[in-house]
Amino acid sequence: MNTTSTTLAPLFSFLEYSLTTAQTTFDKLPGSAVVLRYVKSSHQNDPGRTLLELILFLFAIRTLLQSRTRADRNGKHFIQFSDKEIDELVDEWVPEPLELPLTQSEVSDLAAVPVITGPNGPKPKLAATGKTVTNLASLNFAGLAGNEHIKQRAVETLRKYGLGSCGPPGFYGTLDVHMDLEHDIADFLGTEAAILYSQGFSTISSVIPAFCKRGDIIVADRAVNFAIQKGIQISRSTVRWYNHNDLNSLEEVLNNIEKERKKRRGPLTRRFIITEGIFQKDGVMVDLPKLIELKYQFKYRLILDESYSFGVVGRTGRGLTELYNVPAAKVDMLLGSCAIGLGSCGGFCAGSQIVIDHQRINGPSFVFSASMPALLAVSASEGINILRNTPSIFETLQENVRAARAILDRIDSIIIPSHPASPVIHIYVRPLPSAGLLSASVSTSSYLSASVHHATFPSAKDAMKHAEYEAEERLLQEVVEDCLAQGVMLTRAKRLKGQELSEPRPSIRLALTSALTKKETEKAVGVLKSVLVKVLSRRR
Amino acid sequence: MALTRPSQSSSIFKKRSSNALASAASYLSALSQADASARARNSSHSSPTSTPALSLSSSVTTSSSEDTVLHEDDYMNDPVLASNKDGLLLPPRPPTSEQVFTTVHTEFGHSAQEEYRTTSQHPAGKPLAIHVPQDPPYYILLSTYISYLILIVLGHVRDFVGKRLNPGSYKHLMPRDGYAPLNSDFDSFYTRRLKTRMDECFSQPVTGVAGRTILLLDRISPDYNHTYVFTGTRTRALNISSYNYLGFAQARGGCADAVEESIKRYGISTLGSRLEGGSSDLHAISESLVAKFVGMEDALISSMGFATNSTFIPALVSKGCLVISDEFNHASIRFGVRISGANVRMFKHNDMKNLESLLREVISQGQPKTHRPWKKILVIVEGLYSMEGTLVNLPALMDLKKKYKFYLFIDEAHSIGALGPHGRGVADYFGINPRSIDILMGTFTKSFGAAGGYIAGNKALIDRLRVYGHSGPYAEAMTPPVLTQVMASMASIMGLQQTMPTSSVSEPTLVRGSEYHHPGPSTRLIPPRMDQPPPALASGAEGRTRLRRLAFNSKYLHHGLRKLGFIIYGHPTSPIVPLLIFNPGKMNMFHRLMKERQTPIIVVVVAYPATPLVTSRVRFCVSAAHTKEDIGDVLDLKHGRGERWSIDEVIKRAVELGTSEEE
Repeated sequence: MNTTSTTLAPLFSFLEYSLTTAQTTFDKLPGSAVVLRYVKSSHQNDPGRTLLELILFLFAIRTLLQSRTRADRNGKHFIQFSDKEIDELVDEWVPEPLELPLTQSEVSDLAAVPVITGPNGPKPKLAATGKTVTNLASLNFAGLAGNEHIKQRAVETLRKYGLGSCGPPGFYGTLDVHMDLEHDIADFLGTEAAILYSQGFSTISSVIPAFCKRGDIIVADRAVNFAIQKGIQISRSTVRWYNHNDLNSLEEVLNNIEKERKKRRGPLTRRFIITEGIFQKDGVMVDLPKLIELKYQFKYRLILDESYSFGVVGRTGRGLTELYNVPAAKVDMLLGSCAIGLGSCGGFCAGSQIVIDHQRINGPSFVFSASMPALLAVSASEGINILRNTPSIFETLQENVRAARAILDRIDSIIIPSHPASPVIHIYVRPLPSAGLLSASVSTSSYLSASVHHATFPSAKDAMKHAEYEAEERLLQEVVEDCLAQGVMLTRAKRLKGQELSEPRPSIRLALTSALTKKETEKAVGVLKSVLVKVLSRRR
Repeated sequence: MALTRPSQSSSIFKKRSSNALASAASYLSALSQADASARARNSSHSSPTSTPALSLSSSVTTSSSEDTVLHEDDYMNDPVLASNKDGLLLPPRPPTSEQVFTTVHTEFGHSAQEEYRTTSQHPAGKPLAIHVPQDPPYYILLSTYISYLILIVLGHVRDFVGKRLNPGSYKHLMPRDGYAPLNSDFDSFYTRRLKTRMDECFSQPVTGVAGRTILLLDRISPDYNHTYVFTGTRTRALNISSYNYLGFAQARGGCADAVEESIKRYGISTLGSRLEGGSSDLHAISESLVAKFVGMEDALISSMGFATNSTFIPALVSKGCLVISDEFNHASIRFGVRISGANVRMFKHNDMKNLESLLREVISQGQPKTHRPWKKILVIVEGLYSMEGTLVNLPALMDLKKKYKFYLFIDEAHSIGALGPHGRGVADYFGINPRSIDILMGTFTKSFGAAGGYIAGNKALIDRLRVYGHSGPYAEAMTPPVLTQVMASMASIMGLQQTMPTSSVSEPTLVRGSEYHHPGPSTRLIPPRMDQPPPALASGAEGRTRLRRLAFNSKYLHHGLRKLGFIIYGHPTSPIVPLLIFNPGKMNMFHRLMKERQTPIIVVVVAYPATPLVTSRVRFCVSAAHTKEDIGDVLDLKHGRGERWSIDEVIKRAVELGTSEEE
């Protein structure tokens, strides 16, 4: 007993010494007296409180010290390995090849893509055969391609500005010609302002995430184009889909959301309707006045992608707003493509000053991308001038559309979903009546409801549909190639297989142009008709 | 409406030529013809040749300095710009009779001295020195934090008072008529209360060529940067901000001539996406040229640099794959990765130890929860980081790649053209076989003075991207003028003879490159008229000079600023030179002081959120178009004492600094 206390004596003295040192250091600290007094008094009142505060204090320290990144290492799924085991696992791991080889049909499709030598236009020359063909595939609606005046202005601009702008708009990449084009677009459409993006395709997938954030509500058409789908995906907003171009379905969805919101009494969030003017996938046109009415009724903002209608429809090519005589200012964000509509490059978003200024800071592909080459901006400006001053362009175009539809509508073996006034005409194969129930359902709703997952877990029905689509695709490709042999260039609507929200039905996409006369159009569509009839009659 | 005239031959730029040639071959011959015609045109003006060479010994006897501004008619109407008050219009010394400059001095500076050149190359076998960011004194950090604190507090006070006294100006931030605001006052606080204060540094509209100098459209703000009014005057400023590394932003010269010819022959657009009737033979030729340039089997061109990453990365990885990304990777990479649905992990910037431990962890753990092995792991890095000026540690990365079997994607947006003895990017700089890297991506906006981007890899991969990349079916194809600029600038770096199999020019990379089998028309790149090509172009002398000038200028500015006592990030060879200024208040000041010097200089200032909060910086982007005197102007910032060099000493010892091997 005595011996233990003697052996422990140095320990006790050490403890005492360290305690006093700790006390003096603590006393030396500024404000220590206050803390001490506080702890004492609180302890006196309620000893439990001291314990609670101590726990809180420790918890605060722990939270502060914890890594801000995902703490995978501490997660319950983390397995501790020794270095040797890791080495073995590393040796064992065999990654999949980076690229899967293309299938036979993909390779042949890729090889069949027509390559044009020299300028593209209504009558381009093919690189493979050297033959001149009639072009119903390229997007030259207003016939601006090859315009000598535009070319001359482009050369003048080149000699003043060089080619590239060598910088993003924020850092000395904003040229006066960019501001001019933005002003021209806003003026042409009748909006307060417009903003220019350097690629048409990337415009909307940047505009959507600039406005729609997590928690916001997006109501979108089920068949919107791929760029919109990606924009919605990256925005992380809550999405509701309505049936393709069915505004009654839209109203129903809007009503449901309103009911849910009232029930939940959540905070007011931003709400958007996103759709296209003329749909890229099938040429269907949206009923804009009705859509505007709904948007005002339910207090939504409208993001309208007019890539395939700006510079395409309307008396002077202003797009759907001109066609339906709706002021463009009623569309909150109106997007168009200078590449498709004006035969240049890039895209734009038009709207109120606040909407545009917001994008100048928050639009990812505006902020992080170099601005468009000066000569392309000037070409687009010149394109607008021409559209503004030459209404005959769109008279010719509509005449061509009517002529083409007059021929195509009489073919029994196809279905045309596109709007009668749309210069983008999609052609589906009409399923054979003997094909039964499944095909009937295909013909009524042209889109598969399944999501992307179907590629990995195909249901029996989807698999059948896929086989059917595959067969239709082959038929249409045959039509395209036969037409090319007869001097008419067409294209199937190309799709990203397995990546779209809903697998679109295979189609041939015609893009009519005012650069061809009615006669030339009729002749080319006539060739298509005879080939279609011939190829499709060989079925069964 | 004027429509197209089908061209008789498939040749591209040949003027008044009846010779129908294969398109690729004719392109390069046309390039030389364009030069020749420009020379002819210029000689009628009794001005020097227009070969885009930078300095040539020639028998042309006289060349007065007036000739060099001959084309700038635009200046002559403006008394301020026509005078050489800013010292930017004319070179400090008039050229001697031996020197012939073919560029406009304001676009591409005249510099004949061979000593102001060096090579951008990593010494073989030496590991890359780890970049340790220099720390500022504590009081700088403290005052920076305090500045931000004051700004934030002031901003909130102003918001609080403003909302009560002037609710009208807050209307767009408040819910109204049942609409939620597009931008809440909280979300936009930084923009409204901090960025607006220094908005004059951003989005400055300019005009003219973004070359050695640039014309600013002067503006003033009557209402504290909310709106701007243009005064109608213009200021010429030394441009050390544009990504014009090799100085190809030119309105005159071989490239611009080629582009003009291409506009005349091809028009403005190819009308559609690549898979839906927008493919031109120009695409095929330039893609094989790009593949040859970067040393890969095949390449694919996209019409926008941002979209190259955001539309092709999703075709490379998907669910069940892992992307390991450097923390400072560009927004376009993050965009693409987020769309792809793959898992993402980040590693510390350029820290190979951190990357290795991360790799060991992820490979051993497998996918989260299920612990299944990853399908594939893709490491995405940039060759040269645009905010840091750091180079990727490629040698170390290649060692890791061998051990851990990941796929490597290098974004060479800034490094292609700007680094390496032959301008082929980081692989060239470190002397690494590009084929050992899986995917090389880059842009044409920077070094080539064009727009858009490319992605290069093996043939099977690129073919898959053609079909499965989002751009193929949907995005517009690159336009002919841009394609031509790409080809013309690239060809003048490569030189023409080097594509000949029996080339006598000793070009290590290119000889090595010729061992690879290039599919497609690139084998037809052998120009048909090899007997008399313009010497500067054929030998690639022009391109080499540009590369060597850029390397010198970069090193000179980097080492010069160091010696003056500034905190500089990044690698000396990098044309991006970030100068740290920390304090948010100084950024505005720095920008304005630089702009208001006798020789105005425009700079890019970058702050949070593009950089970490404290390390606000000025970013210089050096160009081959700058002369040694221009860099001296930039360096003239302040006079140091003690260990630091004075500005006079820095300028005197320019050659020593500009060719230094120090890291």
